[in-house]
Amino acid sequence: MKKGRYGRFGGQYVSEMLMPALEELEEAYEKILPDPGFQKEYRRLLRDYAGRPTPLYHAERLSREVGCRVYLKREDLVCGGSHKLNNTLGQALLAKRMGKTRIITETAAGQHGLATIMAARVCDLEAEIFMGVKDIKRQASNVMKMRLLGAKITPVDIGSGVLKDAVSDTLREWASCSQDTLYLMGSTVGPHPFPALVGAFQSVIGNETRSQFHEREGGLPDAVIAAGSGGSNALGAFRAFLDEGDVRLYFVEGGGESLGAENSAAAFQLGSPGVIHGAVMQVLQDENGQIMPSKTRSAGLNYPARGPEISHLCEVGRVKACYAFDKDVFEAVKTMCRTEGLIPALETAHAVAYVMNHREEFSGDDAIIINYSGRGDKDVDAIMRYVYGS
Amino acid sequence: MDLEEMLLGLRRRREGAFMPHVYYGDPDASFSHRMIETLTESGADLIEFGIPFSDPTADGPTFQAACERALRNGTTPSSCIRGMRELSKRNLDTPFIVTTYYNIPYVAGVDVFLRDIKAAGAQGIIVPNLPFEEAGTLLEEGERQGVHVILLVAPTTTEERLRKIADMASGFIYVMNVEGVTGARDSLRDSTLRLVERVRRHTDVPILAGFGISRREQAEAVVSAGADGVIAGSVFTKIYEAHLEDPTEALPEIADLVRELKLGCINKCK
Repeated sequence: MKKGRYGRFGGQYVSEMLMPALEELEEAYEKILPDPGFQKEYRRLLRDYAGRPTPLYHAERLSREVGCRVYLKREDLVCGGSHKLNNTLGQALLAKRMGKTRIITETAAGQHGLATIMAARVCDLEAEIFMGVKDIKRQASNVMKMRLLGAKITPVDIGSGVLKDAVSDTLREWASCSQDTLYLMGSTVGPHPFPALVGAFQSVIGNETRSQFHEREGGLPDAVIAAGSGGSNALGAFRAFLDEGDVRLYFVEGGGESLGAENSAAAFQLGSPGVIHGAVMQVLQDENGQIMPSKTRSAGLNYPARGPEISHLCEVGRVKACYAFDKDVFEAVKTMCRTEGLIPALETAHAVAYVMNHREEFSGDDAIIINYSGRGDKDVDAIMRYVYGS
Repeated sequence: MDLEEMLLGLRRRREGAFMPHVYYGDPDASFSHRMIETLTESGADLIEFGIPFSDPTADGPTFQAACERALRNGTTPSSCIRGMRELSKRNLDTPFIVTTYYNIPYVAGVDVFLRDIKAAGAQGIIVPNLPFEEAGTLLEEGERQGVHVILLVAPTTTEERLRKIADMASGFIYVMNVEGVTGARDSLRDSTLRLVERVRRHTDVPILAGFGISRREQAEAVVSAGADGVIAGSVFTKIYEAHLEDPTEALPEIADLVRELKLGCINKCK
């Protein structure tokens, strides 16, 4: 198989301008990542700065509603409020080892942007974060936090002013500064080696989960459920179980309002393989290959493409491609508040919504794990409007 | 005439080639026809015929806006190819080179896409987000169907990559003058000139240089560094986007600039 390929997905579809930077990153991925000194420093930061390992919580009240044992892998407890820091600490450390002085990235919900500026601070790097103007408005609290930590926020107003456009602009910026700057990719998307690199840093989630579950119950869980778009928290949770055929894996994408054109972000339901942002990915597009805008109330899931690895795993059937509609997601937020006293991020609530709406897929003997990827502080305004009206 | 032959002919006459780049369908198809006629009448030797894509990541803000406008008014790859067929019937001497992002041929089928553009008069194809590592299918089909696959080099391209690109090159090599994306710039760095010299050491295939060119002195500088010609694009879009209600008003200014840039190509040819 060719380098960086997951079945027919993946590859390196970027301008010649960026190829030397990708070659440099590949070399760093192969040489620096396995270095014991690097690993030791990375693990130290994960433990002492990020707060790992995160607990595996048996959510008893939620379990009663679902009708089987439900565990939450508490990535919402990672400092910053989501799984994103697992990856940004790794890549920022790598950037520093590569001799880079600056990192750039994009963010939608602001969780990756926040995690990026945190990692930049502890690794002594400058950070510039591209963000769609629409997302800047709807994720104001995270924007404030990023600014407070010293990030330069660059608004992106091309296209629809959302994540897809911010990714395009970050790629353009990187083409002009790749010698001293690393694009700190936020998810398992884009050209090789990013999907592999981000997947490697996020796999700490599944490795911890597997041993925590084993300690608690013995054996393996019956199912692991995660929400996503690019797929980083899901792959992080799934990778430790990919070879265990009895563990069912569910990937929940943003259904939006309905499964109609321009009303959804459900690329596995409505898309097809296409070349966008550096790789062949499952993507929303028209019959001519023009990329279509995605739509969902969840900024973090509002991306038209699915990363190469999750695209492949869904195509071959190892992972079940699922979706949840916005209204069910808000109901799931209410359920979490009522049962467990936790406000989930809208992204995370997609996984809860899927489980609540498909209880018949889980038998009473099942023990299942929801990757509880982030907390909902950033979404409180939107949630309040839904619960109490505006 | 085959474009490589034509470029070598110009080289023998010590004349630099000029290739303007337009995105077809911006702001509408009929203007693109008028514009391309103006370009060829004013001294363009080849036309870089852009098929708009929704996410043109190698293009700066000017061409992004051009793609957006073209797509908004319903421009599709097939309407572009139809337009090119009509145009090439009338401009038989001016070779067309199609530029588009890889998803367009990927979705259409690379073989089908190359067959269709060839039938419509294209002699070459430029895909800015396709490095040679991923270009196997396009190179194979291009050779089979007689369409030059134009490869690009950048200031960041290493010697090792340059050698491989030079080996695979056909038609001409596209030198990206500056790091970043397309768009008119005030100055070209010395690195451009060094890059042209570096490429020349590896190959005799014609070299055209683009990115950031908007003035005659820049064209002169590139050609005197040893390039066989010059590519400019965003600068023309900038001129007509100031007259979007009636872009044809911009045609005289565009014609003047083409003549200027072509003069730059002729003046300083080594």
